[in-house]
Order: sequence, then C-alpha cells, then structure tokens
Amino acid sequence: MLPEVVGIVLVSHSVELARGLAQLAGQVAGGEARVVPAGGLGDLLGTSSEVVEAAIAEADQGDGVVILADLGSSILTIRGILDHQPNGHIRLADAPLVEGAVAAAVTAAAGLTLEEVVVAAEETRGVSKF
Amino acid sequence: MSVSSELLITLPAGVPLHARPAGSFVKAALGFKSRITVSHGEKEADAKSILAVLALGADSGSEIRVRAEGEDAAAAVEAMRSWSDSLQ
Repeated sequence: MLPEVVGIVLVSHSVELARGLAQLAGQVAGGEARVVPAGGLGDLLGTSSEVVEAAIAEADQGDGVVILADLGSSILTIRGILDHQPNGHIRLADAPLVEGAVAAAVTAAAGLTLEEVVVAAEETRGVSKF
Repeated sequence: MSVSSELLITLPAGVPLHARPAGSFVKAALGFKSRITVSHGEKEADAKSILAVLALGADSGSEIRVRAEGEDAAAAVEAMRSWSDSLQ
C-alpha cells in the first residue's frame, strides 16, 4: 500500500494537455505520486467544475490537494470551487503549469506537506530551463 | 553541529540525470535537513529542486558531485550513495 501524499490536480482547457502533463509529472515523480488531470469541457476546449471537482476528490487522500492551472478562465473555475472549500485543504498554486506540475509532483511524492508542495510549485516561476 | 560531506558519482551508461532518475535523486535529497548541492562541470544545483537538477543536463556516463552541509550531512550523503547504487 502506498503512503499518503499530497494530491496534485492539473487543470487545462485541453484534455490532452492535462493528461500528457500528468503522465510526464507522474513519471518524473515515480509511483508514489498522485497526479490527476482535469482538462476540457466535454469534447471542447474549456474547463468544467464537475471535472475539476471529481479530480480533486480522486487526488485527495487526506493530506490536501494542490491545483495548478493553465490560463484565464481555468482559474475562475477553480476559484468558484475553492469558495466552497474554505479550510485551506485544497490550494491553488500560482505557478507555471509544466514546471510547477513537475516540482509539485516530486515534492509531494517525497512526502512533504501541503504548504511545502505549494512553495515548491510557486518557486519554479524564477527557475531557468538551462 | 554543522558538518559537510561529499560524494562523487559516475552516472552509469544509459542513466542520465533526467526524468525518473532525477525525480528519485531529488526525492532522496528532500528527506534531509542539510543543504545539498549537486554539481556537474561548471554548473551547480540545489539537489532538492527538480527543475534545477534537470537543468544541469548531466548525461549518462558523466560525473556529478554531491555535497551536503548540515547536521545530517553524513546521512544525506549515505542516502545519495544508496540512490547511486540503485542505478546499477
């Protein structure tokens, strides 16, 4: 049985983008990681509260969930959900999506806390790629 | 008490410090309080930052130097040695 870790939810307008990134972050972070994609609005580009809520429920093992999002209205969709979750157990990280997802997944898989995972994701804003 | 400890690792053939090996390297480092750095050639990275480690671009067959500073530095270097052994 895997240890409990902070869950990661990746919200994108694109099903494929969210899914592919979850695969990449999950591979770098290894088997302990719990990275759940939440992309698309049905067959269209967009974000869906239902999809995001289901992903949060799937990612949440009790130690909290960090959400990362792509652009614009995905943030609004998430904010709408978080307004009903005032206890801070679900956090939205202000981070670049790819870098933030990989950093969050590795940090979470190492067993670090919700706050530490949020910081690791947000710190990626200033990191150069090479 | 602050101590420092160091280790040289030659990455085995077929194991660059990318993707999954980089992830397991960083996860091993995150278990310690010590400041841990990893250098490759002229570049040095925080061993606890996956993006910094990926940016090193350390290819298979190359040598990396791991340095830990802090109260659990010796244990940290031991853990990184175990990580390196697991690559063989």
